[in-house]
Amino acid sequence: MTGAALQLRLLWQRNAGLYGLYLLLIALLAVYAWLHPGLLSVAGVARFTQNWFPIAVVALAQTLIMLMGGIDLAIGATVSLGCVLAASWIGDSYGGAALGIALAVGVGAVIGGTVGAIVALLRIPAIVVTLAASFIIGGIALLVMPRPGGHVPAWLSDGLAGETPTALVLLLCLLVAWRILQATPLGQDINAAGNNPHGAFRSGVNVARARIVAYAISGALSAFAGVYVAAQTGSGDPIIGGPFILDSITAAVLGGVGFLGGIGAFRGAIAGSLLLAVMINVMFFLGFPPVAQYIAKGLIIVVAMGLRLLRER
Amino acid sequence: MLASLKRLPGASWLIHPVTLVYLVVIAIWITAGIMKPGFARIGHLRYLLELAAVIGIAAAGQTLVIIAAGIDLSVAAVITFAAILTPIVSVGWDPTGLLGILFVLAITTAIGAVNGVGVVLLRVHPLIITLATATILQGSLLLIAGGSAVSTTNPAVVWLGNERLWGFPVTILTWLVVAAATLVVLHRTVLGGWLYAIGTNPRASRLAGVNAPLTLITVYAISGASAGLAGLLLLGMNRQGYVGIGEPYLLGTIAAVVVGGTSILGGRGSYLGTIAGAILLVTLTALITVVNASPGLRMILFGGLVLAMLLIAGRVQETR
Amino acid sequence: MSAPLLAARGLAKRFFENTVLDGVSIEIRPGRVHALLGENGAGKSTLINLLSGVLRPDAGSIAIDGTEHAALTPALARELGIAVVQQELSLAPNLSVAENIVMGAVPHRGPFTDYTRLAAETGRLCQRLGLDMPLDTPVDRISLGRRQLIEIAKALYRRPRLLILDEPTSSLTGHEVRILFGLLRELQADGVAILYISHRLNEVLELCDWVTVLRDGQRTADQALDGSDPASLVRLMVGREPGDLFPPRPAHNPGETAIAVRGLVAEGISCVDLELRHGEILGIGGLLGQGQEETLRALFGDLQAKAGEIRLAGQVQRHLTPIRAIEAGIVYVPADRKREAVLLPLSIRFNLTLPSLRRLARRGLRRLQDEARTATDAIRDFAIRVADPAQPTLHLSGGNQQKVAIARWLPLGPRILLLDDPTRGVDVETKREIYLRLRQMAADGVAIVLSSSDTLELIHVADRVAVFRGGRVVAHLDRDQLSEEAIVAASLGVEAELAA
Repeated sequence: MTGAALQLRLLWQRNAGLYGLYLLLIALLAVYAWLHPGLLSVAGVARFTQNWFPIAVVALAQTLIMLMGGIDLAIGATVSLGCVLAASWIGDSYGGAALGIALAVGVGAVIGGTVGAIVALLRIPAIVVTLAASFIIGGIALLVMPRPGGHVPAWLSDGLAGETPTALVLLLCLLVAWRILQATPLGQDINAAGNNPHGAFRSGVNVARARIVAYAISGALSAFAGVYVAAQTGSGDPIIGGPFILDSITAAVLGGVGFLGGIGAFRGAIAGSLLLAVMINVMFFLGFPPVAQYIAKGLIIVVAMGLRLLRER
Repeated sequence: MLASLKRLPGASWLIHPVTLVYLVVIAIWITAGIMKPGFARIGHLRYLLELAAVIGIAAAGQTLVIIAAGIDLSVAAVITFAAILTPIVSVGWDPTGLLGILFVLAITTAIGAVNGVGVVLLRVHPLIITLATATILQGSLLLIAGGSAVSTTNPAVVWLGNERLWGFPVTILTWLVVAAATLVVLHRTVLGGWLYAIGTNPRASRLAGVNAPLTLITVYAISGASAGLAGLLLLGMNRQGYVGIGEPYLLGTIAAVVVGGTSILGGRGSYLGTIAGAILLVTLTALITVVNASPGLRMILFGGLVLAMLLIAGRVQETR
Repeated sequence: MSAPLLAARGLAKRFFENTVLDGVSIEIRPGRVHALLGENGAGKSTLINLLSGVLRPDAGSIAIDGTEHAALTPALARELGIAVVQQELSLAPNLSVAENIVMGAVPHRGPFTDYTRLAAETGRLCQRLGLDMPLDTPVDRISLGRRQLIEIAKALYRRPRLLILDEPTSSLTGHEVRILFGLLRELQADGVAILYISHRLNEVLELCDWVTVLRDGQRTADQALDGSDPASLVRLMVGREPGDLFPPRPAHNPGETAIAVRGLVAEGISCVDLELRHGEILGIGGLLGQGQEETLRALFGDLQAKAGEIRLAGQVQRHLTPIRAIEAGIVYVPADRKREAVLLPLSIRFNLTLPSLRRLARRGLRRLQDEARTATDAIRDFAIRVADPAQPTLHLSGGNQQKVAIARWLPLGPRILLLDDPTRGVDVETKREIYLRLRQMAADGVAIVLSSSDTLELIHVADRVAVFRGGRVVAHLDRDQLSEEAIVAASLGVEAELAA
């Protein structure tokens, strides 16, 4: 087997266990397109991906942490922080905008890395560390911007969240970045540390470093989701990230983390968040009241878990 | 210094994390009383305790669940659920209002039991199952109440939240009863003993004949009941329930438990610590309000405090 | 003769009050396959852990290439070319064969993984080991034997100069063993040193040039293998004086049948028939992992039986669970006391009363005085050395923890006691006390199953012994047939050679 062939087959391998989810997704997407033919246009795709994009990004952030055997309850606060930082720092010029976005994402990475270091080096459970961190990060967001305000240049809002499917392009960029990470020894260390930490440690993998990097990437992703939300709404809001905690965990669980573990982080997160987003849209078109979403979100987790149990037997 | 102090006979309780939390609370009350005379007035302290009662009662079930190495993320949703459902189900022909209360407590207990059954049967991390319950409850609430606030005239609920008995607010007396009951369950019943065993090592507990399914379903049911009771008190104090009324109590209960020295990994801790944690929590919140800290700074201070307590608790565990 | 690659002198290691290795020396030379033999608990694993830097010796020295390394770490050992294939596998189940082989040492060019080299090198290794599955197959989809081979490939990928193999053939088929041996001979020809640990004497005789035998932490032989036969090696491995460690055994006249097992099949057990009577101690022997533990767990209801029947006092038991087993008077002392028996952070008193917590309570309310009395009685009866029963059990020595693990069942008045290796890692004095207690309980009519990795213990404590191999009972040895040679031979399957 040649190197390139092996790399491709490894990529393909990671679909294991996700085929059922893919089928369900295709079916739901077909129903959605049938209910709402407008989906099948550039603007339709643009609008749909805009709704889906932030959930997809936080789902990826959460998936990474859950693969490391943790849980991140600070994702919502990090999204809020990214949002207010974007609304305060992004200048009107192209250069200023790029710098502002880079700074916001960088802050997210540093915060995530710090949380990761506390979890990995001091060995305190992720759930309480990220819970405490959610207060601190949320507090910083409130200090930066006590009430909704700030602004994001209109050209950036239009560009990121307008009539063009920029979100889809961004998702592809993230995919490329993820693939690049996966094609490095560090990426493989992250996979190994998530799949069998003890064995990886005995095989010479620096498990602590892998964990910290995973948390830093997760923080950067959450902050970037915040930047995108700021562009969507055109301003900053220090508490906008709250609902993302639930959504990220739901999407990650649907994407298979809870019941497979260790493989296909990116596609799992994408598929899980897409399922969530399409489900919400389809329910809307079928005339369900918006509140029924909540019930459906809760039930779908229970169903997913029940299916896992059936498969194990 | 701590090590040498530990060696003194009978002094180990002095550096016990729980004692430390109480000492911190007292130190804050004294210092704040000197700096801001209004702070240490009996009326203000009593008010703080009333606020702490809601967290403390909701955290009673959370303490039991966490000692069994679980977690209940549906606490906030159950509190809101109770606060909104009670005015709706309190029927006019029952002048005492007790029927409504009993009905709501029965429902919230059942919700908790469903969590427990999910944990036992689906063998999922409790975090996920209770989160699912919370999401479902949120949705049902909007369906039931349509998102608007509902006021209550249920006399029993109003009495719970506002009256005094022998000079003490009923809220605080209720908390005392709940606290006593929780401590008895934890330290004087077979169920309590099994909780510590399961939280320490589920596998060894099973092999020692511990009935883990029964124990887990029971504690999640208790958690549902205690969150429901907290919701009733909150409704009584506010006289109206609305969506989001329970929101602050999710992180609040977990923080009270963890700050009170109970290990999030299970098997270690007591409700005595949670009581102190709840009081510390409202005291700090009040203090930060007194010194006019912005909400952001308040959250940072609070988060920093929890993190610091975690670091200390972690170190104590290691040196043992 | 070539200079030794690794020379260890006078290695000693103690765990608490237990001496596990006592002044052991070993010399490993390039191009030699060196066998390390010894019974379970003789100190083989500890020796491997010392040589690979996982543990630090209490005394003695390790020199590699003539340089002494006072502080050998796993990383340093790896760097010096020492690779260990442990019995416990360290594979990531969801990752592919190729990724597992290079785990922790991914080939790279610049910052990127070099997939060309990865594919070439892992492909070559798999071919040499006869692994024909695609390189992208996830490890959890292949058989245990092949996983073992992948673990070996992982070690070879690092191009070791010393390859340590701990029971590498335990789940390999005959064909796979042949391929492995061929490969090991190639490595030997290339000048790689191999330290080979195995219970399978025939393999050792076929493959190895030199043998070191350990017994109770001491070296009993270090010699060329030429001309050795299985019987002589077995004698080198066993052959201790029982001394006065074991209490006298009364005549064997058992009472009613307590448990009768017919054709029991469960995970890890292919077909087990057993009968246990009140007032006797039934020993269970065999190599590690031949279904002994699973049989005990099935009898305690912790493992569901797939077929066959378990009769308790004549009654067929269905859907046995630990709770029901305890109600029926069956109790179980697991081998892994730290993970499965004693709750280390909780108090000694709590541990001693946990199984009887409900029985001591009235309407669910605990009666602390009764509990305290029960705990004090247990501490006295079992001579558990404790300063304060309120202390965490963590503070007790291994032997005293084991006493807690057994004594906590006594308040329930058990009729059937299942013990899995109760004296592993326990000091001699505690062993003697445990044997004494077991004898007393048997005399009181309790039916006892004693599974043990210590053959001497089986001979001197058990009334009769069932030997397990491959998930079934391969030999029932009555009292007059009991000898170390008979048990070891039955567990190895070399009866023929010994009889000759």
